[in-house]
Amino acid sequence: MKAWLNFSPSIVNKTVISDLIKHYDVSFNILRADITPKGGKMLIEISGTEADKGIEYLEKEGIQLNPIKKVVKKDKEKCVDCGECVSLCPVEAITIADDWTVNLDDQKCIGCGFCKSSCPTKAIKIAD
Amino acid sequence: MKTIEEINQKIKDGDAVVVTAREMTRIVQENGAGKAAEEVDVVTTGTFGAMCSSGAFFNFGHSDPPIKMSRTYLNGVEAYSGLAAVDAYLGATQPHRNPDIGTDYGGAHLLEDLVRGKEVELVAEAFGTDCYPRTDVHTFISLESLNQAIMVNPRNCYQNYAAATNSTEETLYTYLGTLLPQMGNVGYSSAGELSPLLNDPYFQTIGVGTRIFLCGGQGYILGEGTQHATEGERKNGVPVGSAGTLMLQGDLKKMDAKFLRGATMPKYGSTLYVGAGIPIPILNEEIAQRTGISDQDIHCNIYDYGVPRRSRPVVMETNYHDLRSGKIEINGREVQTSPLSSFKKALEVAEELKMWIEKGDFFLTNPVKNIPSQGCTVKPLEIKRPSLLVKDLKIKPIITARAEDAISGVARKMVDNNINHLPVVDHAGRLMGIVTSWDIAHAVAKDSKKLTEVMTKKVIVALEDEPVELIARRIDKHEISGVPIVNRENLVRGMITAEDISRLICSQNKEGD
Repeated sequence: MKAWLNFSPSIVNKTVISDLIKHYDVSFNILRADITPKGGKMLIEISGTEADKGIEYLEKEGIQLNPIKKVVKKDKEKCVDCGECVSLCPVEAITIADDWTVNLDDQKCIGCGFCKSSCPTKAIKIAD
Repeated sequence: MKTIEEINQKIKDGDAVVVTAREMTRIVQENGAGKAAEEVDVVTTGTFGAMCSSGAFFNFGHSDPPIKMSRTYLNGVEAYSGLAAVDAYLGATQPHRNPDIGTDYGGAHLLEDLVRGKEVELVAEAFGTDCYPRTDVHTFISLESLNQAIMVNPRNCYQNYAAATNSTEETLYTYLGTLLPQMGNVGYSSAGELSPLLNDPYFQTIGVGTRIFLCGGQGYILGEGTQHATEGERKNGVPVGSAGTLMLQGDLKKMDAKFLRGATMPKYGSTLYVGAGIPIPILNEEIAQRTGISDQDIHCNIYDYGVPRRSRPVVMETNYHDLRSGKIEINGREVQTSPLSSFKKALEVAEELKMWIEKGDFFLTNPVKNIPSQGCTVKPLEIKRPSLLVKDLKIKPIITARAEDAISGVARKMVDNNINHLPVVDHAGRLMGIVTSWDIAHAVAKDSKKLTEVMTKKVIVALEDEPVELIARRIDKHEISGVPIVNRENLVRGMITAEDISRLICSQNKEGD
């Protein structure tokens, strides 16, 4: 699953993430992070046999967790399937199908937003 | 073998065999051109690409009292009104008058809004005459309320086009899309085997007056477009570069937003996605053969858009089969490609036109006049006052610092020479970094002693043989106040500052008076 972790100022100096990885069997990928002494947030992807336990642990440590269902979304009305975004995706989450429709793979997407800022018809939305 | 009149009779009788250019490619490959010419009557082509040279003429009708509009804005986008009283031409790339909106809503977006039936704000100003006393207008109009809204696109349907990559270290924003650093991707634009002018590369059937599909309505070819060129290199009968173009006309009131879309190329400008399709009558075997062209046979060059000059270096030659596969190899490395023009929409255009002809709603035309297929070249614009190169500037004596110099010594050097920038060099005079008076202030504030701690190591530079305009843009883009001049060996030859450039412009303006 992908989720935003919200860090309050009181926990930014705790080693929550490394403890999580030490104690639980989880795979953990940081997609985006913006953390300052005043708190901050981190977009993560978490999987593995103990992902649920790991999430419980994070919440117990005081991290507010907001799962996101969709990272990237294409507005089918606005999109003209030009394909400008395809080569900009660093994780090859954007592909052109056999019928030449441009598809965005939400599972692969890391939410970098490069496709969004380059879209000529502003047809791509990235979840905050 | 066949005539347009015979084909039109077949269309009327519902007997015409119509295929898209993509289908025709397979038919010719499988059955040969001779058989294809006997079986097929019409091949429909299509393209749906960003075509900046597009726009529309409007006639607003006369108000009471009447006005002779001298400045006209539609939803804040200026239309050219140096025409009769209430006529104006709106171009697709015209940005919004409010710089905060700028290219996010330009002429192209306004055209789409009109086609979608939206009401738009009309603001016009005038100086007032005896016959046109009114001096301003502020009202709302729609496509329906306009007397005429005629799309006239001076240059559409480029026969072929360059593909682009970027060898520099920074991301570039171009009309061929966003180009990643270090040749990280490739942008291309042509619809390849579906593209109209690649299916009739010598203009044997396409001419002045040819009826076409334009943005969901019926339009016409007015003639060759601007920058029409015929003398470029050809492979398999089709140009390898941009070559031929068309000037198109159509009634905006009959168009469909499905085939016309306002868009913005980030940090470049607004542009109009135009859906255009041209029917090609298969009059003989040669024409059939030409419409049989495949993506594999259509070549194009990938240019390095990292070089911002008129002649950009060719990185390599490729073809549309490879480009459309999504990945190509440049210098042994796999690179992703982006089409920029929608092949899906181009197919829809070709299919729609095919359906019109099959239903007997669209008939073919004989050209009134042929479009030139030879003798056309594109002349460059010669600047009478040639670009000044960096090396032509009066370069002040070269003053540099060494990495091991003390901060106080560097500060003194700046004061003594009345300068704010000092390139830092190694023993051989090669550029290592740059310090500014601000860096020195910073060093004092932080109590740094070493120059290497405060100098900028990643330096933006000017090469001796670059035009000064380019350096001005570079200084502006990076929000810096000066750049060291280096030669090909990275040896420092001097400094060029924003002040030098403004002084240069002042002196040039004086000369011009």
